[in-house]
Amino acid sequence: MKHLACLFLCLLLISGCDWMPGRPTLAQKWRSPEDVVAFKDLYAQNCLACHGDGQSKAGSITLKNPVYLAAIPRDVLRSTIANGVAGHNMPAFSVAAGGSLQDSQIETLVDGILAWADPKKLPATPIPPYAAALGDVVSGKAAYTASCASCHGPDGKGGKAGSIVDKYYLSLVSDQYLRSVIIAGRPELGCPDFSSRRPGSPMTPQAIADVLAWISFQRVNEFDQPLSQPPAQR
Amino acid sequence: MKSPVQKLSDLGKDLFLWFDDRLHVKKIWDSTAGHHVPQSAGSWFYVFGSATLLCFMMQLVTGIMLALVYVPSADEAYATLEYLTYHQQLGWFLRAVHYWGSNFMVGIMLLHMTQVYLFGAYKYPREITWISGLVLLVLTLGLAFTGQVMRFDEDAYWGLGIGAAIMGRVPFIGQQLVDFMLGGQIIASETLSRFFALHVFVLPGSVIAIVSLHLRMVLTKGINEYPVPGMVVRRQTYDKEYAAIIKKEGVPFFPKAIDKDIIAAAFVIGGIVTCACVFGPKGPSGPPDPLQINASPRPDFWFLWIFSIAALMPEQIETVALLAGPAVIGLILVALPFFNGTGEKSWRRRPVAVIIVLLTWIGLGMLTYLGATSPWSPVMNAWSAQSTPDAQILHRSPLQLQGAVVLQYKQCRNCHAIDGLGGERGPDLSDVGMRLTRPQLTRQVVQGGGNMPAYGQNLSPAEVEALVDYMASLVPAGVPPARDYTLPQKTKN
Repeated sequence: MKHLACLFLCLLLISGCDWMPGRPTLAQKWRSPEDVVAFKDLYAQNCLACHGDGQSKAGSITLKNPVYLAAIPRDVLRSTIANGVAGHNMPAFSVAAGGSLQDSQIETLVDGILAWADPKKLPATPIPPYAAALGDVVSGKAAYTASCASCHGPDGKGGKAGSIVDKYYLSLVSDQYLRSVIIAGRPELGCPDFSSRRPGSPMTPQAIADVLAWISFQRVNEFDQPLSQPPAQR
Repeated sequence: MKSPVQKLSDLGKDLFLWFDDRLHVKKIWDSTAGHHVPQSAGSWFYVFGSATLLCFMMQLVTGIMLALVYVPSADEAYATLEYLTYHQQLGWFLRAVHYWGSNFMVGIMLLHMTQVYLFGAYKYPREITWISGLVLLVLTLGLAFTGQVMRFDEDAYWGLGIGAAIMGRVPFIGQQLVDFMLGGQIIASETLSRFFALHVFVLPGSVIAIVSLHLRMVLTKGINEYPVPGMVVRRQTYDKEYAAIIKKEGVPFFPKAIDKDIIAAAFVIGGIVTCACVFGPKGPSGPPDPLQINASPRPDFWFLWIFSIAALMPEQIETVALLAGPAVIGLILVALPFFNGTGEKSWRRRPVAVIIVLLTWIGLGMLTYLGATSPWSPVMNAWSAQSTPDAQILHRSPLQLQGAVVLQYKQCRNCHAIDGLGGERGPDLSDVGMRLTRPQLTRQVVQGGGNMPAYGQNLSPAEVEALVDYMASLVPAGVPPARDYTLPQKTKN
């Protein structure tokens, strides 16, 4: 009888093994890259290094920037993730474009990134349009002097902050990237957004387009020849 | 009048005698379990052999149970493993016991071998015991490797690939050997079938046969007496001396010397079950699919040192080392009881033996550690997944920030960590600016050098400029940036 009881106890113990720490859970099961569906995982594996996540900072613009999130249209965000930015350091992530993410995963990323939008943190001024044509170069210089020169120097060649007209820098970034930074700033690195560069006097959409035109005008090719015609001949 | 209990007992006795009369059970028992061993051999150092055998028996039992579910076909093996691991009640536990049983078996066997070597037990007249033990070691490692193949996942797939690649290096008949090993040109169902046959029939059968020989030798030539410094083995006198020891202080193995073996057995079973409960089974990792480019296969624990050697060895000696290395080591081990069959047994009088053992274990341990951490492997997702510490981002110019993006986008991070985060194949870049000047950085990026490929073809001039500008800014606070000491130092006016 004693032996039977012992046996029973052993069986009970062994059948209780399912709660043991070594028991593999379904969460530990291997998943193929296509099966990663959580936004957190997708973002951490694909975006974190260049864009940071608010806590960590990175080389490229942070996506947890409320002004940026208010400005960028959903379609543009999706197509930028899917197709990248040709000629620049944003790779295409969709399988169709040679990347590794399925359309549904890109959709999850778009949803998750846009969910970071926080209307309470937006300035009172309406957010300028995400994209627009270049403005006027001459007015751009004046607008630059008013809004940006205090940090980037009178000619844009650097002051408290670094140069934004460095020829190498300009050849690495697109006009749209420059425009996004002018609008949304890099607050995590000390560069304010369009509304707070000069307290009480936000940059107008025209001023933004003009500053961008002035910066972009200074692009040169590999022989240091200007890419754009001088403004007088326009 | 006899009581029913007594009647039953008498019946049992009669039955035993009937069988014993025909099978000589008692005689066999007395001559095996009851054989006399030197009392000094009832030592804690002498439990490893029986413990290895115990592991093997556990592997037989759990292996048979696993075979009830496992389907050895390339398209179903993985699914049955997942079923066992995640759905079958206690299937994971069964897999875990078999996995840890195998680890324990190899580990304890190596301890057994070390003990036998240090105690001079391979010396005259136990040459065949030693050689059969070596065969058992090879068979056990074979079981471990084929067992890793049974866990038909990416580790198994690429492990087979490496095995086949080594086979393919054999001169003249390499390709034929590969075809023979894989059952064709590629790793497929035929491969799994033949490794299954090896793992469940050929190798265990061989182990049982060689263990029988091994134990037979223990019975005919006796178990090694506990070595005493100064007691020298001579071919002419040893047999008489051993007989004298047995006569003087011999005790029957059962029940006088088996106690420590039984306690050790309890520890081994407890150890295996505890590891199984706490750490669980291994894998299965990703499916055995060559199209799965995210795979980062690693061999099982006892093969990690080979993984390290294969990764770290200079390319020129690979073929010779991979083919001749095991042959030479095997030959030395087989020849050992013949060229070193007499003399001192005690490790206290054999400093060379002690040094060899220490070097071997330290070497294997270091290689295993390196294999487990494999710093030479790039971290393939670091470029998109590894964040950069604030100190390496803040207070940088726009160009330098673009340089930080280039560093990620061009996957420098997969081999170069920043502040310890990222690959370890190349040097950590968090303070590279104090080690290399701008021209040195540019040259290294464009032309490569050391282990690093040249990236000149893959970077635009602007990207090189941004990258170098960023790396030159990676200088710890309070430390001057690197400068070229062949040039006069610039003075601030």
